[in-house]
Amino acid sequence: MTEHVLDELEAYALGALGSTDAERVAQHLSTCASCRAEAATLAEVVDSLPDTVALREPRPALRDRLLQAATPEARSRVAAGSRRWSFGPIRPWRLAIAAVTAVVIVLGAADVDAYRRLVAVTAERDQYNRTMESIREGARTWYMAGTGSFAGSGGTLYDPRATGKQPFVLFHDLPPIAADKVLTIWLVSPDSTWARAATFRPNGEDIQVVEISSEVAGFDRCAVTVDDSPWGKHGVVVMESRIAPPTSVP
Amino acid sequence: MPEQQPADDALLTALAARDLGALAALYDRYGRLAYSLAYRILGESEAAEDVVQDAFLSAWRGAATYRRERGNPRAWLLSIVHHRAVDILRRKTTFRPAPLEMAESQPSDDDTALAAEKNVEQRTVRDALEALPQAQRRTIELAYFGGYTHVELSELMGVPLGTVKGRMRIGLQKMRRALERTR
Repeated sequence: MTEHVLDELEAYALGALGSTDAERVAQHLSTCASCRAEAATLAEVVDSLPDTVALREPRPALRDRLLQAATPEARSRVAAGSRRWSFGPIRPWRLAIAAVTAVVIVLGAADVDAYRRLVAVTAERDQYNRTMESIREGARTWYMAGTGSFAGSGGTLYDPRATGKQPFVLFHDLPPIAADKVLTIWLVSPDSTWARAATFRPNGEDIQVVEISSEVAGFDRCAVTVDDSPWGKHGVVVMESRIAPPTSVP
Repeated sequence: MPEQQPADDALLTALAARDLGALAALYDRYGRLAYSLAYRILGESEAAEDVVQDAFLSAWRGAATYRRERGNPRAWLLSIVHHRAVDILRRKTTFRPAPLEMAESQPSDDDTALAAEKNVEQRTVRDALEALPQAQRRTIELAYFGGYTHVELSELMGVPLGTVKGRMRIGLQKMRRALERTR
């Protein structure tokens, strides 16, 4: 067993150790019952600290944004009686198509006939659930909510790392844009460098998939702009994710 | 008769089964507190909302791995919020309150904040923290809400590392005793 860490447990409980020290303490706690008991007691006190903050109300849109981001992974919808449930323009059949489309792209089977056949056979609920599961296990995602004239639209960037396939963005409810404009998908690095990932125009469908050629690794946000051309500086931002999804769950 | 709400543990079980209604219920129960905590740490509404969304999605994806020994569901969820917010604070230097005074200038009360709706235990925690000597209280607040490590606090406050550890230890012990008296 490593040396006891009683001297550092308060800082550990408060999250006030550097990462190396925190890992060392956590390692010790995994093997030392007495330090673990003391750490648990301290954690109870620290866990009460959120009760000292002044309460503030987040914007109501945050709830919808959260539920929209989680919906592709859901097995059941919001229960009846959930008084504030509001889901914007997405409807279940759209999600079914979205899920199927995602699988088509992940599998690399992007031809239209196959896509239509797949939509038909996955209409059944059990197949739909399996499809959702395959997305959940195979991809990490960013959600971009539309703003301004793009309010109500959105796009989810899927990084299908488990399959080794290209990342892609699944858009919903894209509004039409002027004939001389294009939409650009950008990947944004932590130091705010913008890298062009794809340029496209809305196809007029409720759901649209756009593949991107860039590696997602190293970027922690993504955005969509309306541009005059597929090159040069980016134009007006109409969708933007805020921060990257967790690389692993806690 | 008031509608009976599911217990937190039941919500987490439903979350693990990917029940979107459970996620909505969990957000309705703790979204405001989670946002308030993130805002207290980051001092910026958009970043705080991002942290809350990120934390709830982590809980959504990680509910199946939740173990009771990691704390009750509320504590587990808020610890995710805390870790995410502090990570951002440490990673994005522009978000971090560089001088000590900035971190200290974010008081627990704020004129623009909603009036606090606190039950007895919440008031006890608040009173216990406020009752600490200023040095102990500042050390705990700057560590937990300011994201400072104990080494950084030693430098910022101009005191030996042992003093910082001592302030944390005594301050948390006093709070612990105060909380135990109410249970």
